[in-house]
Amino acid sequence: MKRLFLALVVLVASCAVVFAGGSSETATSSDEGQYKVALIIENTIDDRGWCQAMHEGIQGAIEQLPGKIHYEYSERMTTVDSESIARQYIADGFDLIIAHGSQYRNMVSDLASEFPDVSFAFGTSSDIIADNVFTYMPESEETGYLSGLIAGMLTKANNVGLVGPVDSGDAARYNRGFILGVQAVNPDAKVNVAYTGSFSDYVRSGELATTQILAGADVLTGSSQQAIGALRACAEYPDVLWLGQDLAQLDTPEGQAKCVAASAYNYTAVVVGLIESLDEGVKGGVCIPMNFNNDGFVFDYNPALESVVTDEIRATVDEAIASFRAAPGVLANWADVQI
Amino acid sequence: MNIIINILSMTVPFSVALLLASLGEMFNQRSGVFNLGCEGIMAMGAFVGMLIPFSIGGGGAVAAGWNYLGILLAAVVGALLGLFFGVVVVTFRAPQGIAGIGLQMFGVGTAGTLFRHFVGGTQSIPGLSSNPIPFLSDIPIVGRIFFSHNIIVYLAFLFVPVAWYILQKTSWGLEVRACGTYPRAADSMGINVNRIRYEALAVGGALAGLAGAYLSVCQIKMFSDELIAGRGFIAVALVYFGHWKPVRIMLGALLFSFTQTIQYNVQGLGINIPYEFFVMLPYVVVVVVLAFTSKNQTTSPAALGKPFNREIRT
Repeated sequence: MKRLFLALVVLVASCAVVFAGGSSETATSSDEGQYKVALIIENTIDDRGWCQAMHEGIQGAIEQLPGKIHYEYSERMTTVDSESIARQYIADGFDLIIAHGSQYRNMVSDLASEFPDVSFAFGTSSDIIADNVFTYMPESEETGYLSGLIAGMLTKANNVGLVGPVDSGDAARYNRGFILGVQAVNPDAKVNVAYTGSFSDYVRSGELATTQILAGADVLTGSSQQAIGALRACAEYPDVLWLGQDLAQLDTPEGQAKCVAASAYNYTAVVVGLIESLDEGVKGGVCIPMNFNNDGFVFDYNPALESVVTDEIRATVDEAIASFRAAPGVLANWADVQI
Repeated sequence: MNIIINILSMTVPFSVALLLASLGEMFNQRSGVFNLGCEGIMAMGAFVGMLIPFSIGGGGAVAAGWNYLGILLAAVVGALLGLFFGVVVVTFRAPQGIAGIGLQMFGVGTAGTLFRHFVGGTQSIPGLSSNPIPFLSDIPIVGRIFFSHNIIVYLAFLFVPVAWYILQKTSWGLEVRACGTYPRAADSMGINVNRIRYEALAVGGALAGLAGAYLSVCQIKMFSDELIAGRGFIAVALVYFGHWKPVRIMLGALLFSFTQTIQYNVQGLGINIPYEFFVMLPYVVVVVVLAFTSKNQTTSPAALGKPFNREIRT
């Protein structure tokens, strides 16, 4: 029995040595004028969705502001676990803690009042909850609208599917913007909206997409990281196309084959804005909207599927983007859309 | 009519992972051990199942044999994890509930860590394609519902009568049931209770690993950390739902998937009911049916959850 125990101990120790990995993106120590930034996320930095977008945004900010940011991140942090790791970052002298998800609101609110010298940021939210808390709110109705325009013009069956996670936050805005987009170019098209009830249940989103395809949908979209499962399901059907909510989806084999175009959040602009605010002595109390007007979004077509994008589609999308860039709040009526 | 055929044709493949995992859990529980770590074993099975075809094809197409090898290895890894669980709860007689939760965390965490190390981010594979059965799949309605799926679907449903036969008609099945019902009597008859429980855990683990691989190789054809998303726990609940009987467990898995597929379709109809109601519908149905059918629990293994120590008279 002792040998068995010894073997188990050796096995666990070996695994720890082999698989242990730090999460620090820069090896430099904190210097004068350098901000220590921590990211807390519920999923992983390579989820091809919500968390990866913020991680890449921070990396972009590090490139834009060389030597200005020391960055560390913690993945798969549930709401319950997040406070513990946030306190650890505070104890380590971090200046800015980004809790990437509205589920962290209470944690941020509690810690912000306890540590007024530390800055926090969380989103999606447009609320101002403390002087040392930034919030950010992607106005995703704009990206949804672009996807809706393309879907409405691409659908041959006049049947479009939308696989949502839950009806809240930026997903709710994306979905309503999508419906507005479809209706703008194809009032006859039916938009099937359905929710998985989860941000990360890939299997269920795949099942939901399959259901919508069998019900006649020939163009689908979806929001949050769970949408990858729906995109994978689309790949099983030759005549079905997909519109992405994250450019990372274009890098997948099924994205290459099915994703006509995608939008993405440009968190680099947000993070650079946060650092500039800290430079100016502003520790929070500000909501940063994300839209095309302030370069909070990027949009691109899939080069592999250029043949399906007609000149009419390009012109319509370009016109919409131009109007979004000219002024924010073009789709102020998004909340009126009933699902 | 078309919507009904759609619902039924999706119900069958969507139920397979639950069916395999719950049949495996049935063997565990029939021997007297309940394994809440089913979720963790499924996660490891899902990872191993996709790792083989991914390693060979780099995410591109591979010969079907590599997918089958992945599924086979997932079953082997599942069996090994079942045996590992046996070391903890049979040999060391640790509390089964706590140990099961530990195995769940171990499996999900290890699968995620290994996935990150060997694969990287969320990754898809071409996976197994459907194998419609010639002639049978051409039968109107029935062919599409039952005979137009991949081979694992057929094998999973064929395994239901096999599982019944093993449990009810073989000496090993009798020994399993004896160990789960009255292990001291089984011991006095010369049955090695611990060995039987190890064997049942290996079988249960293999089926749970297979269930995970079905998700990653046959159904969603990808892997991510959150792939199993609680299905292991639903599988455990389905064993109680099915009163430890293979056919009833199959009906439970089909009912859950049927309700799930109905709610997917009904959401798209634009009915003015909050979507949260539809999302929770399958769980509510299972709980309600469980409540109404739980009066007759005569088949529950009497020694379920109780460690066996032949040195101590209980």
